[in-house]
Amino acid sequence: MTALLETHDLVKDYVIGGETLHAVNRVSLGIQRGEFVAIMGTSGSGKSTFMNMIGCLDIPTSGTLLLDGIDTKTLDSDELAEIRNRKIGFVFQQFNLLARTSALDNVAVPLIYRGMGYTERRERAQAKLEAMGLGDRLLNTPAKLSGGQQQRVAIARALVTDPLMVLADEPTGALDTQTSLDIMGIFQKLNDDGITLIVVTHEPDIAEYAARRIVFRDGQVIEDAAVKSRRRAVSA
Amino acid sequence: MNSLLASIAGWGVNVAIAMTALRTNLMRSILTTLGVMIGVFSVILAVAVGNGAQVSVTQQIATLGSNMAIVVPEPDSGNSGPRRPSDRGRLTERDGQAILRQVPGVVAVAPQIRNSVQAVTSGRSATTQAIGATPEYGTISNVNASDGRFLTQGDVGSAGRVAVIGQTVADKLFADISPVGQTFRVNRVPFTVIGVLESKGSNLGNDNDDQIVVPITTLRQRLSTAATQGPDDVTLLFVGFEDEETLLDGQKEIKSLLRDRYRVPKGKINPFTVRTTTEIAETTGEVTQIFQAVLVAIASISLLVGGIGIMNIMLVSVTERTREIGLRMALGAKRSDIRNQFLVEAAVLCVIGGAIGLILAMVAAAIFQQVADFPAPVGLDTALLSVAFSAAIGILFGGYPAIRASRLSPIEALRSE
Repeated sequence: MTALLETHDLVKDYVIGGETLHAVNRVSLGIQRGEFVAIMGTSGSGKSTFMNMIGCLDIPTSGTLLLDGIDTKTLDSDELAEIRNRKIGFVFQQFNLLARTSALDNVAVPLIYRGMGYTERRERAQAKLEAMGLGDRLLNTPAKLSGGQQQRVAIARALVTDPLMVLADEPTGALDTQTSLDIMGIFQKLNDDGITLIVVTHEPDIAEYAARRIVFRDGQVIEDAAVKSRRRAVSA
Repeated sequence: MNSLLASIAGWGVNVAIAMTALRTNLMRSILTTLGVMIGVFSVILAVAVGNGAQVSVTQQIATLGSNMAIVVPEPDSGNSGPRRPSDRGRLTERDGQAILRQVPGVVAVAPQIRNSVQAVTSGRSATTQAIGATPEYGTISNVNASDGRFLTQGDVGSAGRVAVIGQTVADKLFADISPVGQTFRVNRVPFTVIGVLESKGSNLGNDNDDQIVVPITTLRQRLSTAATQGPDDVTLLFVGFEDEETLLDGQKEIKSLLRDRYRVPKGKINPFTVRTTTEIAETTGEVTQIFQAVLVAIASISLLVGGIGIMNIMLVSVTERTREIGLRMALGAKRSDIRNQFLVEAAVLCVIGGAIGLILAMVAAAIFQQVADFPAPVGLDTALLSVAFSAAIGILFGGYPAIRASRLSPIEALRSE
């Protein structure tokens, strides 16, 4: 069985003021289905750039990225959009929910781009929100939800397309400690249900909820190992 | 079939997204719409007024009579330089009789002398045009008396001091009392009113009811000015034809007949002009078309300004919502989805503005029609066209911002604050 994600000598360069910066420098690794990976590193280590490339949001300068066996180099922007829509769910630090739009409609957005009809979109979105414990908040706009609730709406949105993997970029960065634990608990539960999770974080304790830790420094992987004393969140 | 349904549903979603975005910035949306609204309003009104002018001209031509040639003793202006008094020809009643006898298809000839006169009654007066005419004037140009009677051959033969007066003159001279049987004076000559002309309204500020018709003989004997040279000179001849075909040939026949009668040498310009109602309709039609084109061109400028307003606001909107665009791209929106979203938003703005502008223009045209007594019809075609046109404005001017939005890189857009 092929790896869910495979990179070979993945490079991303930025040219700033005439100097070339290797944000990601020849990274080769593989992630299997069902893994729970934490990507760590300080700011500027290249972890976010790596994340953006495996999320098909950014295009590598060189190297190969195989996603579910597909070489992403061969894809045009529309095909990349299709991949993002069908195979990847995103969770962001700032939640990135549409303002003045209900939780239900926010969760349904990815299904719009799949051409799904109104009723089916709403049914699916509602099911995911209920699974996140937000069944009584369906019509609330983000302004009427707490940070933790907003992030749960965002997770429901990432899951509504039944993606191959969920990419979370500093998902707890804007949340307090207790809420962060709740979110990690949700992630662990999702992973137990078989969903592949890749979480970018700079907080070591958050990374301990994952099963595998990859550490970036100066654009390269300096550590890639299983988490020894894995924490279990008392699930919310 | 399914993909068609899906694409329709897709556009529906875009409309929903657009409505949400427009509601979010309600004040800005209203102000932007205002530009398109004013633009569509002025274009529709310009078209309506232009159409009105055309209707008005057509009516005027109809009041003149159809299948008619008008002969005046003015040199043909078509291919000559400036007119000199010596180029003026003569035109007599005998010419009219010759035309009636010799030109095929002619059914009647109405010789006329026209003078400006002042008609007075005790305490009231009216400056108006006096037409010295024969009964044929009534038949050719379709003029009838609505009250009393028109001129008869007897009136002309006896040079009777009788007059058929237009509605406007009647109002000025007699106000409330019935004019028939009353008298008024012109140059101290008393005239008895024998009839009131059917009202023909006004066209383009020309009051068709501001005239009096008296026997040509009476006018010649009692009210004539020095303009005429001989005992039976006339100001103009109306020549009525059977139909349009004989009219066309008749125009040439009349010219050559008159050239013969006045012995105009070959190569010299005609000292008279023969115009047909068909020609008049054509030239005035052209003039009103130019008039309409100029109006619409001026009005289009405001529509252009409205369109630029749309473009401006859409560019601001794209900049403000860069992060949203990035998010939508991350969630699977293709470039075309983003482009369509902003296109629909611009089109919705424009169509709303266009629809309001259309309604306002219809109201304004109705008021205009009432107040100015000038037709300004807004047809269904104009209405549909204007709404389609405003959508096109939206797509045209929203196109650039929409394409700009769709070209954003997802990651750059997501990172923007």
